[in-house]
Amino acid sequence: MKTLIKISWRNIWRNRSRSITIITALILGLMGGVFSASMRLALEEQQFEDTIDNQISHIQLHHPEFIANPEAQYYIKGGLEIASELSDRDDIIVASPRAVVDGMIASANMSSGVRIKGIDPEIEARTTGLDELITEGTYFSENGRLPSVVIGQALADNLNSGVGSRLVLTFQDIEGEMVSSSFRVEGIYKLTSKSFEERMVFVNFPDLNRIIGENDIVTEIAVVIENPDDYRDVAGIISGLYPNTKVRHWADLQPALYYSLEVLGEALIWILIIIIMAVSFGLLNTILMSILERVRELGVLLSVGMKRRKVFSMIVAETTIIAIIGGVIGLFMSWGMIEILGNTGVPIPGAEGLEDFGYASVLYPRIETAFYFEIAVVLVFFAVLASIYPAWKAIRLQPAVAVRQE
Amino acid sequence: MKTVIKTTDLSKVYTETAVPVHALKNVTLEFKQGEFTAIVGPSGSGKTTFLNVIGGLDKPTGGNVVIDGVDIATMKESKLFDFRLRHIGFVFQAYNLIPVLTAVENVSFIMLLQNRPKAEMEERAKEMLEQVGLSDKLDVRPGKLSGGQQQRVAVARALASKPDFVLADEPTANLDTESAFNLLDIMAKLNREENITLIFSTHDQRVIERARRVITLVDGAVATDEHFERN
Repeated sequence: MKTLIKISWRNIWRNRSRSITIITALILGLMGGVFSASMRLALEEQQFEDTIDNQISHIQLHHPEFIANPEAQYYIKGGLEIASELSDRDDIIVASPRAVVDGMIASANMSSGVRIKGIDPEIEARTTGLDELITEGTYFSENGRLPSVVIGQALADNLNSGVGSRLVLTFQDIEGEMVSSSFRVEGIYKLTSKSFEERMVFVNFPDLNRIIGENDIVTEIAVVIENPDDYRDVAGIISGLYPNTKVRHWADLQPALYYSLEVLGEALIWILIIIIMAVSFGLLNTILMSILERVRELGVLLSVGMKRRKVFSMIVAETTIIAIIGGVIGLFMSWGMIEILGNTGVPIPGAEGLEDFGYASVLYPRIETAFYFEIAVVLVFFAVLASIYPAWKAIRLQPAVAVRQE
Repeated sequence: MKTVIKTTDLSKVYTETAVPVHALKNVTLEFKQGEFTAIVGPSGSGKTTFLNVIGGLDKPTGGNVVIDGVDIATMKESKLFDFRLRHIGFVFQAYNLIPVLTAVENVSFIMLLQNRPKAEMEERAKEMLEQVGLSDKLDVRPGKLSGGQQQRVAVARALASKPDFVLADEPTANLDTESAFNLLDIMAKLNREENITLIFSTHDQRVIERARRVITLVDGAVATDEHFERN
């Protein structure tokens, strides 16, 4: 076995430039594959963080009518108790009860349509991390004469307002009557999505309920679950527990995001398959050429009594060694690349305009350690697969003919 | 003397061509232990086919080849590999050393396939290279050796595992006169000292003049079979 590997090793370096070329192709292929995967993961994480973690959460509960008519009258009966019960479940981290109404926000000289969310600041902080998104002012920590409102940076720009500005919110109360109230901007948050910044404003839950005209009106419960992959199962359970509510998971709430991530994931798999196939064919070609160049030598091995399976193993070993060399260097270089780009970020050309849709203009690629091992195993597997044809060609040689081959 | 190889009515017909080619026709021969035999004849007379068949590299169409009491004509291919490994040494016209192995590794190679102990293998390989006058080239790869030196390594490789007989197909064809004589001296010496049966196919008069037995094949049949008293 040792000699077999020794021969394989030396055979690889008989044509140094050819072996280096295929090893380089392996390295670049791996780096390309890892880069694609890391960018996909970065995009997925950014999308999850911005859209799901910071905005919609994994699951939402509403009154069934609220979805078509987002009015206070369509509130969830016993909403606070439901949120409390959900928060106590092991598969749920937190459930945030909200009073949500659509309305208008106006500064001294501008106005805009907004969705007003009455929140419990402490619970909301654990649900969407809104407190950490504040870039100016504070997060519901002041007790001023006017109730506090937290608005997005884009809305603040549109309204030409800032922290401390007085804004007027107008919306329908529980009876359907238009009501208005003044608020003071306490904090300004910033997210990737400008449309979210322009549309979502946050006030204290009791402040909004007071203006709506009822106590403890909950029109929306946002749920963060323990294991994000289980969102469909948990949504199904909640739906069973509270049949009078409309339970939707993030894929229902953001189908475009769901499909873009699915398509991206699918595309990534195909990109990886194509890269590995291309590299494998390159490897196959290299080994096949090396077999055709040494037909006579292989004929000698078979003539003197080297068993066909040993010749087969020798060819497979050659391919595997090349794959291991290329794989180890490639993975090491990929790791280095991800370490660097994960810190510096990768600017996405032309993505500035996509921020309205929640896409970041800079992504920070990263990859799970397990992926390196997975791709290494896949690479070696395909390398062994690629060696089968040349090895099969080698063992089909007729020794008496092969030893006389020019 | 012990019979090493016995062929009876050996025939070989190649049917791949439009007209079948009768490469061997009822060849019946016996080779004794320690013989130094040259198989001669014009091109296409069946010399190489005969060596291939008695070397287990090709199957005869008819007849049998008995080596060490075993008919290899009917042996399965998988067993033939092992049989060749343990009983037959080969020397090829184009040397055919393994280019990535050094001289000593090339000579050890067959013993390695036979799973001989490492120490024995190394000792025997060095001894054989010494016998062929290449004790200073142990760690040199074939690419850095002359044609004559490569063929001497090939002879050392063929004989190192002490096979029952060695088949040499035109071993001097690619060598200059001095190298050819040198090689023949070495092979004659090893034939005497190791008592190994040597069978050459050759056109080379220098080989024929050294052989103690000369078999002439014409059109696949034995035309003459002569014995000579030579040292």
